[in-house]
Amino acid sequence: MIDIEDRYIEKRIFKSRLILIYIFFGFLFSLFIYRTYTLQVYSFSSYELASIENKTRSVLVQPARGVIYDRNGNILVNNVPSYDLIIQPSQISNIDNYLDSLSKFIYIPKKDIDYVKEQFKSKSTYNRELTVKRALSNEEIAKFEVRRFMFPEALIDERYSRASQYPKLFSHALGFVGGVENEDIEKILFNQGKKIGETVFKYANGYLIGKTGFENTYDAELRGVFGEKIYEVDAKGRFLEQVDFIEPIKGKDIITSLDLKSQKVAYEAMEGRKGAVVVVEIETGSIVTYLSSPSFSINEISNGISNSNFKKLIQDTNKPFFDRASQGRYSPASTIKPAIGLYGLENNIIDWDFIINDPGFFVLPEDQRIYRGWKKGGHGNINLENAIIESSNTFFFSLAYESNIDDLIDHLSMFGFGKNVCMDCFNPDKGLLPSPSWKMNNLNFGWFKGDSVNLGVGQGYLSATPIQLAFYGAFLSNKGSLEKLSLLDNFLEKDSLEFPSLNITDQDWVRLHDSMIGVIESPRGTAKRLKNLKSYKIAAKSGTVELVSSDSKEDYELIRQDLNKRDHAIMVAFGPMPNPKYAISVVIENAESGGSVAGPVAVKVLNSLIDK
Amino acid sequence: MKQASFKRFSIYFDQHLFIAITLLSVMGLFFLFSASQGNMTTVIKQAVFVVFGLCLMFALSQPDPDIYKILSLSFLIASLALVVITIIFAKEINGAKRWLDLGVFTLQPSELVKIALPIYLASYLFEKPIPIDIKNTFKSLIIIGTCFLLIASQPDLGTSLVVSMAGVYILFFAGLSWKFIGSSFLIFLISLPFLWNNFVQPFQQQRIQTFLDPSADPFGSGWNITQSKIAIGSGGISGKGYTDGSQSHLDFLPETETDFIFAVIAEEFGFIGVCVLLTLYLFILLRCIYLAFNARDRFCRLSIGGLSLIFASTLFINLGMVTGLIPVVGMPLPFISKGGSSLLSFYIAFGIIISMASHKKLMQR
Repeated sequence: MIDIEDRYIEKRIFKSRLILIYIFFGFLFSLFIYRTYTLQVYSFSSYELASIENKTRSVLVQPARGVIYDRNGNILVNNVPSYDLIIQPSQISNIDNYLDSLSKFIYIPKKDIDYVKEQFKSKSTYNRELTVKRALSNEEIAKFEVRRFMFPEALIDERYSRASQYPKLFSHALGFVGGVENEDIEKILFNQGKKIGETVFKYANGYLIGKTGFENTYDAELRGVFGEKIYEVDAKGRFLEQVDFIEPIKGKDIITSLDLKSQKVAYEAMEGRKGAVVVVEIETGSIVTYLSSPSFSINEISNGISNSNFKKLIQDTNKPFFDRASQGRYSPASTIKPAIGLYGLENNIIDWDFIINDPGFFVLPEDQRIYRGWKKGGHGNINLENAIIESSNTFFFSLAYESNIDDLIDHLSMFGFGKNVCMDCFNPDKGLLPSPSWKMNNLNFGWFKGDSVNLGVGQGYLSATPIQLAFYGAFLSNKGSLEKLSLLDNFLEKDSLEFPSLNITDQDWVRLHDSMIGVIESPRGTAKRLKNLKSYKIAAKSGTVELVSSDSKEDYELIRQDLNKRDHAIMVAFGPMPNPKYAISVVIENAESGGSVAGPVAVKVLNSLIDK
Repeated sequence: MKQASFKRFSIYFDQHLFIAITLLSVMGLFFLFSASQGNMTTVIKQAVFVVFGLCLMFALSQPDPDIYKILSLSFLIASLALVVITIIFAKEINGAKRWLDLGVFTLQPSELVKIALPIYLASYLFEKPIPIDIKNTFKSLIIIGTCFLLIASQPDLGTSLVVSMAGVYILFFAGLSWKFIGSSFLIFLISLPFLWNNFVQPFQQQRIQTFLDPSADPFGSGWNITQSKIAIGSGGISGKGYTDGSQSHLDFLPETETDFIFAVIAEEFGFIGVCVLLTLYLFILLRCIYLAFNARDRFCRLSIGGLSLIFASTLFINLGMVTGLIPVVGMPLPFISKGGSSLLSFYIAFGIIISMASHKKLMQR
């Protein structure tokens, strides 16, 4: 037996130790309450977010691209639906067998089979889809539908292609769309507050981006905003139900300043020859016609082209991909003469009554070098007006010889030479306006008087794109002021160029225009053959670009045996006079005569715009 | 005094504990319905256990505690024998032999040792001088060690640690000297690297590493605890609503019916629900202190203290694990987690506690 004393000791030990443990547990209890409070109340929002992210998965929904219209509301580029055979790679284990059994009743071209096999692995990671065959015929659809139960992993659904009814007309002006690098689509989606992931595609070839031309320049407007389908998912990633749907926003439809009819006429008139046609609406500076020739089909490029066909296009010596309108560099040749004449007037070197004798060549006083005109024997005594009408070289050789080269270059830059004159052309080239410092830096030679003389007839180092030449024509027609060019019908806040000179009076401009009208209307005009092709008056200046300089007609006969060494033909024109609406530039490579080859093209295109 | 009013046929009962435990058990069924995605079979099975458990608890509170004192050695030997039988005969499940298939019910004998050991130690120390001397300390430690090794060899480290803890609580109440406690703790700390390298299984090492940095491997072993914290945190103050917990219902949360059922409750009922639940547990624990303080003799005092602390330890290990305070160890939430043996063991423990609290002697010892 234990005595009372012991009992008290034992009880005291027990009580104190039990309380000690309970204090310890009480501490744990408080710690636990604090912990739960932290999780549930203090950090609630971050855990709530984590729980929502856990249980939802969003699938992007591709928006349709905007439709591109011409100035009269004709659709130029559209989204064309077709019924495509689509498979879901994530549910298919053996793609070879699968394609074999599909091929038994639907013909699948070999290139498509290769493409599907190539893409199969990457597409099977998510619930991605893969297009096996596009644009099924009604018969193929029927063949599939009766066997549908055998292919639960495949479906026929509507998908879009980016396509134009006029696939070769606007290839360079509008450009084409194509697949996009992951990096770029990530950037685009980031700006729309989204992340790259599983996507419901509207287009058969997935994410698209404007690669060239208008599709590229206005990609941000045309592309639209991705929508989202939000699904509830479980821990295994199974889709349970759609909980939300944010509709994609279709890209903006855009009305361009282009004109379908004149573009068609220009395309036909060019007959596939190398060159370009650009028409500008003078009042607004908007581009009405924008053709680079030869062309290619944007439909093929935009919707997947076979490797061999693509190679053919790339290796074509006529370079159909090359945008001659905004990137081709051509010497303006004689078309520069009105600008040189204006220089002479502005600086009081000449006036309209000033006459020189043109023996058919110009002798450079410094080294007796001879610069020839096109007409043997020359034009005799000639003033500015006739020098433009007959395209006297000697007149402008001597005018350029008299010029201050720095002033002359400043003067020419006012007409857009050496500058980007277009607000929204794709990758426009600035051409080349040479200067003494440019020559020293690039060719390591000083500027010779002869260089100035060559500049006087638009030969030598000076080069310009057809876009620049069209701008130049419009600038002349508008008497020295013009807004920059653009492909939009209503471009806001455009820059403009203006001729600051005080010495060129309105009378001077009118006489200049009259001289240019004489190029066609005068019996001595270099383009007199165009006179009867139209019912109104056109101011024009033709030009012929010598690719190889020759001293005599006999020499040139030798040269022209090589088609690629023949002269380029150029025409810059505007009309109808006296109140011009449109200015045009036509360049045809190796066509030899500006007046008689480029001229008719220019007149046909202007007719399509003016004779309504 | 109830036995005074019912001289011939007395009922021994503690309405505070009984009501609190019944309430917890019923709430548990309600929670389990949601945690099991509305699986009625699971809920009905659990309900059978609850009813059986409550009856068992009531029945076990009727005999005089002296009977438990007398039978305590036999209980311990019998339950250890079952552990041995399990090791020898039971089928291996997940690399461990812990369960004995009794046809209608799968028994985990180690859960019985958890109760038998502290009661035996309490009866062993009943006649011994207090505070406990060195000789008895070592004798007791040998008994505890035997139980530990047997259960640990199943292998079942979690239960064997809880069982040892139950024994050590009794020794602690019996006045184990602070010097002894201090030096044992020191030895434990020194041998920790040795134990880590030789006795801690790789998966257990990984659990502890995961605990220290769950973000290191969020989709691997850190998954459970990360998802559990998201479930609890996203419950907020008032919860997402009954059966509306997305973490548990979309399978993000593991073991929703057993170890992680607290996360389900916290997600669906929020901080308010957690507080209500914890109040019930706190009430039970405080009632146990009161009963222990007023126990009729040393055997009852030690037993009530030991058994209630096993309950408290299990509770806190579960809560700590689910909220990421301690590493993941398989420990149920008492009276709520789905389960047979461990659930029944708590009904048994509280049956014995009530018996000890309600049988009084005129002359207290």
